[in-house]
Amino acid sequence: MRHRALGGACILALVLASLGFGQAAAQGPGGQSRGAQDVGQGLPAAPAAGAQAARGAVAAGPAKPTPRKADGKPMLGTAPGEPALWLPSGGGGERFVNADTADASADKLRISEVPMQPWARAILDYRLENQLEPHTRCKPSGGPRQFLTPYGVEIVEMPDLKQILIMDLGGPHTYRAIFMDGRPHPADLQPSYYGHSTGRWDGDTLVIDTVGFNEKFWIDRQGTPHTEKLHMTERLTRTDYNTIKYVVTIDDPGAYTKPWTSGFNFRWTANSELFEYVCQDNNYAPDLMVGAQEFVDRTSKIVP
Amino acid sequence: MRHPVLGFVVMIAAASLLILPLSAHHEITAKFDPAKTTRLQGVVTYVDWANPHVHIFMNVGTGNNVANWAVELESVIDLQKAKYTRETVKPGDALNVEGILARDGSRQVWGNTVTLAGKRIFNVPEETVNRTPGGPAPKSADGKPRLGPAPGTTGYWARPSMTILAENGTNIRANKNGLLANIADAGKVAPFQQWAKDLFELRQRNRLADDPQYQYCLPPGGPRQFQEAYGVQLVEDKDHQRVFVFVGGVNHNWRLIYLDGRQQVGQLRGDSDNPLYYGRAVGKWEGDTLVVDTKGFNEKFWFSNGGLPHTDKLHLIERFTRTDANTLKYEVTIDDPGAYTRTWSSGWNLQWVAGEELPAFYCQDNRP
Repeated sequence: MRHRALGGACILALVLASLGFGQAAAQGPGGQSRGAQDVGQGLPAAPAAGAQAARGAVAAGPAKPTPRKADGKPMLGTAPGEPALWLPSGGGGERFVNADTADASADKLRISEVPMQPWARAILDYRLENQLEPHTRCKPSGGPRQFLTPYGVEIVEMPDLKQILIMDLGGPHTYRAIFMDGRPHPADLQPSYYGHSTGRWDGDTLVIDTVGFNEKFWIDRQGTPHTEKLHMTERLTRTDYNTIKYVVTIDDPGAYTKPWTSGFNFRWTANSELFEYVCQDNNYAPDLMVGAQEFVDRTSKIVP
Repeated sequence: MRHPVLGFVVMIAAASLLILPLSAHHEITAKFDPAKTTRLQGVVTYVDWANPHVHIFMNVGTGNNVANWAVELESVIDLQKAKYTRETVKPGDALNVEGILARDGSRQVWGNTVTLAGKRIFNVPEETVNRTPGGPAPKSADGKPRLGPAPGTTGYWARPSMTILAENGTNIRANKNGLLANIADAGKVAPFQQWAKDLFELRQRNRLADDPQYQYCLPPGGPRQFQEAYGVQLVEDKDHQRVFVFVGGVNHNWRLIYLDGRQQVGQLRGDSDNPLYYGRAVGKWEGDTLVVDTKGFNEKFWFSNGGLPHTDKLHLIERFTRTDANTLKYEVTIDDPGAYTRTWSSGWNLQWVAGEELPAFYCQDNRP
C-alpha cells in the first residue's frame, strides 16, 4: 500500500525530471530512465572541450577503419592515451525493440514482431503504462539495458586475465565480467543481474553467451520481459572506428514462443572516460529503494 | 573474532547451543536485540533468497491467531558457500526457529538456529583464517609484484587482520563491523576532534544503525573498502596505467587509481570539482609498494568500519605491498584537519583467497 503511494511520489519525481525541473532532478536516476527527452540533460558538468568533442563525435565523412590489436582481433577497448566511451548510437533514447509506430528497420524488431507469450505481452503493456523500471531504484541492469544508458560504458579488455570487463556508468556503479578463458557456465548458478557470461571470438565478432539471469531488472528501458530461463547471445562487431554493431538473440522459453534477434549500434565517443556516477547518490525515491527497512511487508510488491 | 555479546547470550540461553552470527555483513544487533531470545514454529509462506540477507517468511500460530513472521538469515553468498540454496526450504515446510527478536517489536527474528524435519539448516560455519605466508609474490612483466591474480589463476583479497580503523599502536577490540567491544575505548581509536569523537560515540551507541552503506547501499570510499566482507580485487590495467579496485560486497562497485601522472582534478567530462565517494586517486610505485594519494571525497559515507567521521578535507596516502603471495600489507595515513587533531596512521593485512572469484554481492538486491 505504502509502496504504491511512494510509487506515485517517484513518478512525480520522474515527471519533474523529464520536464527538466532543475538540474539536480535531471541528474537523478529517474532522469536517465525517461526516454529521449533527457538525453544530454543528465550529463554532469564537463570541461567544455571534452563535452564538445564528445557530443560532436559523429563526424562527417567515412569513419576510420576498425582498429586492431596485436593478435589481429578488433579492438573493443580504448588504445592507451585515447580515452573514449561507447554510447548507444541513438543516445539515451536508443531502443532494443522499436515501437510499432517506428519505421521498419532491418536490425531491429518492432514490438508486435517479437514472439511473446500472452503473459509476456500483458506485462509489457503494463510496464509501458507504468514505467517504474528497477533501474530507477538503482538495480544493476543486465542484458542490452547495460548498453542503453545515456552515460555509456567502457569495454576493458584484459588479455592477461582472460576477461573482458564492461564498466557501467549509469546505475549503481557496477560492472560485468566476461570470462574469455574457455570455462563453462557453472552448474550451480544462482540467478543474478548480469548472469554468467563467457565469450569467444568468431572471426571479427565477439560472441558472448550468458545464462543465469534473475528477473529483477528489465532488459531494456521499455520493459521487454524475460525470465530466469533466458539464454542470451550477444554479438559485438566493430564495423569501423566509430561503430560497434550489437546483435542480441533472446532465447527465453519462459516468455517467448521462439528465439528472436534484435539490436542497435554503439557509437564511439572520444575524449571521454569513466567517471563516478552513483545512482543512489541523488535518488529521489530512497524509500522505494530501501523499503524503509520494512522487509516484512511484501504484500504490495512493485511489479518488476 | 568473537561477538562481544556472545558470552551474555550463551549465558541466558543456557541449554540451546546458540551461536551468534559472525559473518553478518552488517551489524545485526542494530536491528535485533540479543537479550530477547525466542523460539518459533511455523509454516513457510515465502522465501526471499536475496542479498544482503535472506528472509524466510512463515506463518506462526493456528486458526484466527496466525501471524506472518520474517526470519532473517545470512547473505545468499554465505549460505551458498555452506551449500544451501533457495530450494533448501519451500513454502509449506514446517520450521523450528530459535533466534533473537527485532528491537522495534515487529514480527522479525534473526534465525540463530533453524531446523527442518529435525535437521539443522542454514548453519554458516565460521571461516578459518590461515595467515601462513605463501611463496614469493608473483611478478608482472615490469618486475613489480602483482596486486591481482597471476595469469591462469584466480583469487582476491579478504579477511582483514583488523576490522576497525584504529591508530597504529592502539589495541582496540571490535567486531567484524567495527563495533567496539568496550565503548570506553572510543576516544583511544584515533586523535579525534571533540565533535568527531562525539559523533563516533553516537554512531557506536546506535550500534552502527545509521551506516549509509547499510541504509542506502552507498559506496565504501577510503580504507573501508579494504575491510569489507566479501573482499576486494585489485586489477592492474598496465596498458592504460590504471588500477581498478573491485569491491565484492556493498554494491559490487569499482574504484579507479590512475598511474598515468595526471593531477587530482576532474576526469574528462565528468567530475571536475564535485566531491566523490571514492575520491580522486593517483598512484605511483615506490620500489615494491604502490603508493596512492586520494582526495576529493564527499561526506555522505562512512570511510571506515565502526563509523569514524571524516570531512571533505580528507586526504589519504595508502600504501599497498604484497609481502608474499598470500599477504597484502595495507597502510594508510589519514590527514583530515576537519575531524582530527593531527595526521595519523593505521594498517592491516589482507589475505589472498586463492582459487575463488571475487563474490558479486549487491546490497540493492533485497530491496523493493
